[in-house]
Amino acid sequence: MQATKSFEQAFLKQMLLGIQLSAVSHGSGSLQERKSAIKLSADVAMAVARGSKKWTRGLIASLSKEEQNRSFLQFVLGKEFERPAKICHSSWKIPRSKNIVRRSLRFLSKRKSNIRAPNSSVLAGTLVEKRTQVLKRLVPGGQSMDAFSLLDETLDYAACLRAQVDVMQKLMTTLEASKHRADSDAQRPKEKFHLLPMVGSWYSTRKGLRKRLSKRPKLTL
Amino acid sequence: MPIEMSSRRSRITDEEINELISKLQSLLPESRRRSMSRASASKLLKETCSYIKSLHREVDDLSDRLSDLMSTMDSNSPQAEIIRSILRS
Repeated sequence: MQATKSFEQAFLKQMLLGIQLSAVSHGSGSLQERKSAIKLSADVAMAVARGSKKWTRGLIASLSKEEQNRSFLQFVLGKEFERPAKICHSSWKIPRSKNIVRRSLRFLSKRKSNIRAPNSSVLAGTLVEKRTQVLKRLVPGGQSMDAFSLLDETLDYAACLRAQVDVMQKLMTTLEASKHRADSDAQRPKEKFHLLPMVGSWYSTRKGLRKRLSKRPKLTL
Repeated sequence: MPIEMSSRRSRITDEEINELISKLQSLLPESRRRSMSRASASKLLKETCSYIKSLHREVDDLSDRLSDLMSTMDSNSPQAEIIRSILRS
């Protein structure tokens, strides 16, 4: 998946909605609770924005295992939330998944030994298996994936994680910059001002906005 | 996922495997790719795991900082207005 603008936009919106839901912005709850709420919003938003993939279902399933997350998930996902539970159950119904993975790896390494290409032993070897196990723990839902799906889902998941980090970073910078501007109102910083490209249009209509900023050709971070 | 799906998938071609491996390699940021002269599968997996872990840490850190920033945010503040604008868009 190429992290598209529409994904980033959907993610940002969803995350902010979630944060609002957990009323972190009201400053209630302990430090740890507030931090967990933000992280939960960010993760649910990432999964929702991406849609149905194995890792997104895996992520929702693992999040729903924790008691304190359930009301939030139910609220955000509504009727959708029923399905992740089923997915979770159906993956439990396939105890053979580990065996399937082992068999697939063995099958693939057997095939590879006939070919002289440099990558012929691409999936053979216990080091690869060990590291595959680590990867399976890192990618949500990875435990029940065959090697092919795991690689595929990893690519997708890592791209979304990257986008998640980027968007959260941009949000931070924008909010911080706004704070600094408010604190030092006399100064009018030019390039210090950061904006989210995706919300460039709303900005030009803001009251009190200096016209020259809207003349900037591209509002980038 | 139905079982038929994975048995169909286990008959994947070498090209598909290689394609995924090279996609995985190109996914890693330049700084990590540089140290890898040969894309051996085990090295690639190790780098990928380490990359994902670092992304997890970044999200954790950003969640921390966002929560600090937001809990001290007044609803009349320009920051709150920014957030409201994003939600309206």
